[in-house]
Amino acid sequence: MILTIIIVLGILMLAAAFMALYLKDLLSAIIASGAISLMASVIYIILAAPDVAMTEAAIGSGLTTIVFLYALHLVRKKQEDKHD
Amino acid sequence: MAMAGAIISLIGAVFLFLGALGVLRMPDIYNRMQAGTKATTLGSILFLLGLGLGHFHKVCICKTIILVLFIIFTNPISSHALARAAHYIGIRLTKKTVLDKLHEEDREELV
Amino acid sequence: MIKRFFSLIFVVLLALVFLPLVTEIKPLSELGMTSAKYAEDGAAELGAANLVTSVVVTYRGLDTLGEVTVLFITTAGIGFMLRRKTILPEKKRRASEILKSGTSFLLPLIILFGVYIFVHGHLTPGGGFQGGVVIASAIVLLMLSDINMHPDHNILNWLESLSGAFYVIMGILGLILAGGFLDNRFLPLGEFGKIFSAGAIPVIYSLIGLKVGAELVGILNKLGREDK
Repeated sequence: MILTIIIVLGILMLAAAFMALYLKDLLSAIIASGAISLMASVIYIILAAPDVAMTEAAIGSGLTTIVFLYALHLVRKKQEDKHD
Repeated sequence: MAMAGAIISLIGAVFLFLGALGVLRMPDIYNRMQAGTKATTLGSILFLLGLGLGHFHKVCICKTIILVLFIIFTNPISSHALARAAHYIGIRLTKKTVLDKLHEEDREELV
Repeated sequence: MIKRFFSLIFVVLLALVFLPLVTEIKPLSELGMTSAKYAEDGAAELGAANLVTSVVVTYRGLDTLGEVTVLFITTAGIGFMLRRKTILPEKKRRASEILKSGTSFLLPLIILFGVYIFVHGHLTPGGGFQGGVVIASAIVLLMLSDINMHPDHNILNWLESLSGAFYVIMGILGLILAGGFLDNRFLPLGEFGKIFSAGAIPVIYSLIGLKVGAELVGILNKLGREDK
């Protein structure tokens, strides 16, 4: 049962990774890469590593996503300024 | 006590499922957000309470109550901020919309 | 097209290289020598209820120091890259009343939670890094609710440098008074499982938490700064 959950989560992680690679919209790619970390943290909890799971959930899916979003915001604004 | 906890958890899970269904079926982003936050708020509250009742223990139930309070405080605020931001960047409402009060306030609020 | 072909070949070769990892290697049924020593003697030796913490802070404390340093260098790099950013202020919308009052209510709670995580690092899962990130997320909430709010750069720098310096000082104190660098036993070990136990581990983890929190807030502050 647990193995099945881990396998399903792993497949979902792969799917999210491909989405993060191939999506044209950068915002969706960032969200997908945050989802990878979320599923990884669930796997860590199942494998009885709550410390790592907390780190992964907080840093990987929380803070990294925010930093990426800020960076995307800055890049877009720069491009708009160039076009004006 | 374990039985009651299990039943409450099950009701919560049903609400969570309905929330997911609503996200799939609703016509525009605001309605989806409503399904995805209101139903999930109630669903997670019931689920956590059921979990606390099922493993009846003083520490455990206190922790779940704190979690429930946290969900009650954070979930509406985050969904409100999201919906407002979505409205602000101009995502369309569904055609069946009757009233859009935020639209009238929009122009005055620019700093 | 040819590029695609070569990359496909590369991926297949890589898969061939890593195939033995899946087929041949079996999971370890017993701990190695180092891990066995940590697992058996760790709790009695260092007095920390959470074994992971005693490994991260004491046994492998030098690596943690390295990680914190990497984070510091990242902050410095981002600050260097974004130094000459001049973006004109644009029209912004104020945050709504709900978000503002919600923030003023939630902010102390979130910071308290972060402090709880790193103060209890030696008892429950969690520690300096996690608590620091939680505190940084509280600051993000503050920055979202008040668009003109920017944490003071100098205070962040001082906080970060001081906690880093005290971290190293704690390590050197361990070197002088106890067994080695970052040894936690120069403070009394206390009663197992209580909050004032495990020697210097809570102190060191609190310092790491402050340092990580200050660094991450600094990164977000630099990225989010749009005025000037």
